[in-house]
Amino acid sequence: MKSKLILTCAVFLGSIFSACQNSNTNAPKFAPEDLAKTDWQTIENKARGTNVAFAMWAGDEARNRFFQTEVAGKLKQIYNINLQIVPLGDTAEVISKLLNEKSAGRTGGGSIDMIWVNGENFRAAKQGNLLWGKFAENLPNNRYYDAEAGRRDFGTTIENLEAPWQRAQFVLAYDAARFSEPPKNIAALGEWIKAHPGRFAYIAPPDFTGSAFLRHALFHFGGGAEKFQTFDNELYKNASEKTFAFLNEIKPFLWRKGETYPSSPKELDRLFANGEVDFAYAYGANFASERIKRGEYSPTARTFVFDSGTIGNYNFLTVPFNASNPAGALVVINYLMSPEFQIAQSNALGSIYPHRLDALSETERKAVAELQRGAATLSAEELDSHSIPEADSEYLERLEKDWREKVLLGGQ
Amino acid sequence: MRGIFKNSTKTKIAVGAFGLAIGLPFAWLTIQSFAASWRFPALLPPAFNLRAWHYLFDSSSGISNALINSLFIALTVTFLAICFALPAARAIALHNFKGKNLFLFALLLPILSPSIATALGGHALFLRYNLTDSYAGVILAHLVPTVPYCVLTLTGGFSRFDVEFEAQARTLGASPFQVLRFVTLPAIAPSLLTSAVFAFLISWSQYLTTLLVGGGKIVTLPLVLVNFQRGGDEAVTSALTLIFLAPTVLFLAITAKYWRET
Repeated sequence: MKSKLILTCAVFLGSIFSACQNSNTNAPKFAPEDLAKTDWQTIENKARGTNVAFAMWAGDEARNRFFQTEVAGKLKQIYNINLQIVPLGDTAEVISKLLNEKSAGRTGGGSIDMIWVNGENFRAAKQGNLLWGKFAENLPNNRYYDAEAGRRDFGTTIENLEAPWQRAQFVLAYDAARFSEPPKNIAALGEWIKAHPGRFAYIAPPDFTGSAFLRHALFHFGGGAEKFQTFDNELYKNASEKTFAFLNEIKPFLWRKGETYPSSPKELDRLFANGEVDFAYAYGANFASERIKRGEYSPTARTFVFDSGTIGNYNFLTVPFNASNPAGALVVINYLMSPEFQIAQSNALGSIYPHRLDALSETERKAVAELQRGAATLSAEELDSHSIPEADSEYLERLEKDWREKVLLGGQ
Repeated sequence: MRGIFKNSTKTKIAVGAFGLAIGLPFAWLTIQSFAASWRFPALLPPAFNLRAWHYLFDSSSGISNALINSLFIALTVTFLAICFALPAARAIALHNFKGKNLFLFALLLPILSPSIATALGGHALFLRYNLTDSYAGVILAHLVPTVPYCVLTLTGGFSRFDVEFEAQARTLGASPFQVLRFVTLPAIAPSLLTSAVFAFLISWSQYLTTLLVGGGKIVTLPLVLVNFQRGGDEAVTSALTLIFLAPTVLFLAITAKYWRET
């Protein structure tokens, strides 16, 4: 009797173990070395009928819906590819998963074929050798992007390890019902803060969006973003000294007298939505329009950029080293880089259009010109003419570290 | 028992405060999940809609899949955890053997050490044996924190159990299965129920282990919930939280009813 029971349990266990082993066995092998000698048509043929697992940040209902219905449907229709979204709360999760797999020697058969990535996560992936290979230039739709887009991601050279996808630009939001002319440079903003105690907050570094505010101040005191493309210790010392002096000067006039700072964009968002502070900011020119649509911001919210410009950057798509289906991933990435997709996405989500307009056909240009933007989103021309590059990541790291010492803990 | 709950004013206030403490968050979540917008200083949302709930039940959102995954995994984990825990608990409660304390210590180690350590260490181990990114791996990983709880609660049940009842039933001609079905299981039923509830809820609420071992491929309710919580969509987060809390409330109700009847 007992042995029968054990046997039953064993059979049961065995059956769920075998039934649950997932597989993507239909994907053909494909190595980065093959890229040069394979023409695009062959890659597309390889990708037909396969599954592609796309790990993407999935905290936005509208975006999830768009990818899971419209984009997945299109890929199925054009390439017979099944797009599987692997939802992430934070892209760093997938990087640490890959690191673990790397150290365990799992070089193939990985569960993720492509990742939406940028900045520090890309740097970590590149340093850890977690990427599949140099592919971006081999994608036909790479020609729609400005050559500059594919050069550096936050100071880290890209070397074709990831392909440019979307453009984001730092913008600030204010409520036009409260005042009509926002201060459009750091000095004027400083004056405004002192005249309106408790009505401004910035997100504490090392949050990425939070430190973006600091970088704008650094550019302001250091004589412009262009000077910060490669690290220069002397320049950093001069500019950061003035930046920290400025931040300490406004500290008593900040929200809660600078004793505490919002720790994430979400927190600043809520403060702004509830009218506790007068400015919010984010990477993403359309962020305020999206918040208005979701009912979080007042309909009178508007955005602006600094006269000296705000940081614009790209985010990217890449393939991890142990992807099961790299060919499928390349085809999906190439599709996501197409004007067809980008126009559809701008329509659905209000994203800014990332391509060089002179690379587009007449009809595509017309479709881009007809894109509706949200009430709070600035025009493409205004954003373009006020876009400045990211600083070298060394500045970012130093700034985050020194801020803690000189402003958060010290100062006054 | 009932005497101390007689209707003094103090008791009423205590019960009321307790009810409010439990009820208010639920009320808040429910309102939030229907709110089209809700900003300070409005006491109640000025407008309501079904956006969040529509999204939850939209098949393309993948949330119903996550729900099914969560249910499947939690039920399987519950069943297996009890299968493993029953013999262990019986041995601990009814027999003395060499190294019993060491055995107990080893058994409880996964819940005594910080869960992040077991999760990360487990992930490395699971990778080596090719158990990641699969249901089997996730279920195994969930068994690590659940089995100790089940053993503990079942040990309590067995320690009040007299094995002579089993012997008596056998003398009267009952088969081993009949003994298990009609004597042993009914005798330990309350602790069996408790440990099943424990096992289910522990598995149901695993985040880190599912994320690591499931590799993002096995998507369960807590994973989706955290995504939206981080994304800042209050309505969808609230609706998901309500669904996430449903089994807890259900079990609480069932257990309360069970205890009232016995």
